Amino acid sequence: MSPLSDSDLERYSRQLVLPEWSGAAQARLKEASVMVVGAGALGSPVLQYLTGAGVGRVGVVDEDTVELSNLPRQPLHFTPDVGANKAESAAAKLGLMNTETIVEPYPARLGRMNAEAMLMNADVVVDCSDSFTTRYTVNDTCCALGTPLVEGGVLGFEGLVMAIKPGESACYRCAFPVEPEEGTVPSCREAGVLGPVAGIVGSMQALEALKLLTGAVPPLLDKFVQVDARTLEHTIVSTSRRPDCEACARVPAATQSH
Amino acid sequence: MTSQTLDLTGVVCPLNWVKAKLALEELDQGDQLTLLLDPGEPVESVPQSAREDGHDVTVEGTRVTIVKQR
Repeated sequence: MSPLSDSDLERYSRQLVLPEWSGAAQARLKEASVMVVGAGALGSPVLQYLTGAGVGRVGVVDEDTVELSNLPRQPLHFTPDVGANKAESAAAKLGLMNTETIVEPYPARLGRMNAEAMLMNADVVVDCSDSFTTRYTVNDTCCALGTPLVEGGVLGFEGLVMAIKPGESACYRCAFPVEPEEGTVPSCREAGVLGPVAGIVGSMQALEALKLLTGAVPPLLDKFVQVDARTLEHTIVSTSRRPDCEACARVPAATQSH
Repeated sequence: MTSQTLDLTGVVCPLNWVKAKLALEELDQGDQLTLLLDPGEPVESVPQSAREDGHDVTVEGTRVTIVKQR
């Protein structure tokens, strides 16, 4: 029998009526656990849509505190939250948004030392971090764990989204093998960003995460989408696994497709 | 082949179709699901959704019989 309650059926009715969706897909979401790295401009829409859609457990890791300059593009944080930890601030709103979802805030920094422990219980990881160092750490850790990942980034008016199934499709390091040196690429703070641009990219990340979690629609594997928000032009770029990728080399044998 | 009846009177659109769709998910191809619906929007829209999903649908008043096709 379906584990969905009458209240679930009503809450999720608009996605359940989709021909691509099903009670089974919704039940898979309810059983699923997602970890979102970063509760900022990308993390806000990702967390809102995943919690709203009915993911059973949502973890959110962010060590930063809410700043006044975050508010135009980080709709999970409100003016009175300035000074509060972002993971805690996000969790408070998400708990009100969907009382069926268990939200776990981790007010900590994800780094090489703790990444595996933080991500090991997730069925899918969504990377909403704002540094290349963290991005490569998350990618490498997800490869080592064999955990599907949605990468995303935004810089000025440009954004990128990529879904990854370690051992099956190209990882972030396959697509971008050369890790930029610390400081060589401007951070969001330096480059500037307009809220809705991050909203577009974050919404696409949430969508890809829902595809990975439910199997309702195939995710964008071995490809990434580049968005130019000036013209609203989307470019799908094909990529493929690199035989010499050091991250893919650590994928557990059980998750390898060949 | 089994046959099942679901009373969806008093259940509004699109929740009636959600309940019918989830009931169909539990059935096998060729099984029959009979729905009791309210007149008006429900009896017009639910059979249409069932047909769009590829099932065989017979409407008799507010009684709708669906034979699962896939």
